[in-house]
Amino acid sequence: MNKFLRTLIPADIAKGLSVTGKHFSQVFFTANRRKVPFHIVSEYPEVPAKVQPRFRGRLTLLKDEQGEIKCVCCLACEKICPTQVITIEKGKKEGRKMPFPVRYDFEMERCIFCEFCVESCGFDSIILNHQFELAAYNREDFSLGTEGLGQNMFELSPTGKFSVADD
Amino acid sequence: MFKNEEMEINLGPQHPSTHGVLRVKLRLDGETVTHCRPMIGYLHRGVEKICENQSFFQGQVWTDRMDYCSAVANNLGWVEANEKLLGITVPRRAHYIRTLLNEFNRIASHLIWLGTHAMDIGALTVFLYAFREREDVLDINEAFCGSRLTTTAFRIGGLREDLPPGFEKLVHKFLAKFSSCLEEYENLLTENRIWKKRTVGVARLSAEDAIALGVTGPMLRAAGVAYDIRKAFPYAAYAEMDFEVPTRTEADTYARYQVRMAEMRQSARIIQQCMDGMPEGPVMAKLPKILRSEVNEVYHATESPKGEIGYYLVGEKGSLNPYRFHVRAPGFINLQSLPKMAEGGLIADVVAAIGSLDIVLGEIDR
Repeated sequence: MNKFLRTLIPADIAKGLSVTGKHFSQVFFTANRRKVPFHIVSEYPEVPAKVQPRFRGRLTLLKDEQGEIKCVCCLACEKICPTQVITIEKGKKEGRKMPFPVRYDFEMERCIFCEFCVESCGFDSIILNHQFELAAYNREDFSLGTEGLGQNMFELSPTGKFSVADD
Repeated sequence: MFKNEEMEINLGPQHPSTHGVLRVKLRLDGETVTHCRPMIGYLHRGVEKICENQSFFQGQVWTDRMDYCSAVANNLGWVEANEKLLGITVPRRAHYIRTLLNEFNRIASHLIWLGTHAMDIGALTVFLYAFREREDVLDINEAFCGSRLTTTAFRIGGLREDLPPGFEKLVHKFLAKFSSCLEEYENLLTENRIWKKRTVGVARLSAEDAIALGVTGPMLRAAGVAYDIRKAFPYAAYAEMDFEVPTRTEADTYARYQVRMAEMRQSARIIQQCMDGMPEGPVMAKLPKILRSEVNEVYHATESPKGEIGYYLVGEKGSLNPYRFHVRAPGFINLQSLPKMAEGGLIADVVAAIGSLDIVLGEIDR
């Protein structure tokens, strides 16, 4: 008899629906009213997404106050990188005691953003910036470096651009 | 007109309810499964061999990518196995933070399981609620180590950095609301008649079979065996934590659901204890500049959300990288029990059985 009543009265389904109803009413009665914001979703492309301070984005080379590249070619980042995406060519520059990276190539397509390179760097000359919108249309756009056309290791990657070849 | 023949079909590898690239070869008699064989290997990357060619420090990034739903738990196993091999003692504070993040990861992994498993069976709503809380856990991951999914959270010898400022606030915000969130999921599912019809008595795996097949984790505990490595062989700071190992005796899909829900409650308890009793001190042990292995052979097992994840490392004395590396992946060994659970049942219950296994193919194929 009890079991029959339980089959007849869908209390379990009502319990589930009450959860849905509660959330629906919360959103329904607060939507378009600024007083009580109730938004779990962020309006990402319109509103820029916030990342945490430790976020691991794209690798960036740093410069010191004089505009000199801080990197001294100790090759620690090249050695520690689990996917071998960094290639450094050691060179000399006039008026600089420390070695100077003639080439600092970074193949972003294979980078796994583990931050081992930054950890290994004893000269604080590289960081992972907070950029995460790194999609591009061409494969060449992923090979970054200190030289070459539009290749850029010091600033943010251009976003919404079709290709390096475009400009 | 009516042929009494058996039909062979493939479930997967591109089937949405096989959780990745799992292919299940099924032989059907009408709707009854008479023969079931899981076929794996579609996601094989050779992680074990890659790790043998990389240093002890670098290998950790590959463990992230094995079971990407519980990357922190995989990291923990890897670093602890390496610490055993290299003979390093870790500061107490580092142990506590590791335990804390590991339990957060257990919650995240179980929430993924809850969402996708319920969605496979037909309860679409829970998915959205479960992923809402998982988002908070991923934010905590991001605040601690800068990445959400492939965390690379720990380092051999401790942690890279201490907890960030404002971390306690994030944790307390999560803990304050999590128990009410769990109640929400239970309101949606536990008493629901459709959910019960799809899960109660479905895909049974008795304790004898589970032990014989080497099944671990919530699958084993749902069969009534209270085996949890956190209790049996405590690692990290679990020896100082007070928690229960939830078990059920029904050994069906519903029991596994109950066990995992209870485990999430226990995880929240452990997190609370970690936050309360967090010791002060350094988070990184003093390490030699170049890590070289000390002993020959190490097997270290930890309790990942899916079961026992074990790392077997063979090192030569003075070597920079492991000579041999093997992972005892819980998903791989739990998957062996699929024929036992599915054969004799209906084809629709195969999906429930796969869901209750909580497999991630990145870990099975490695």
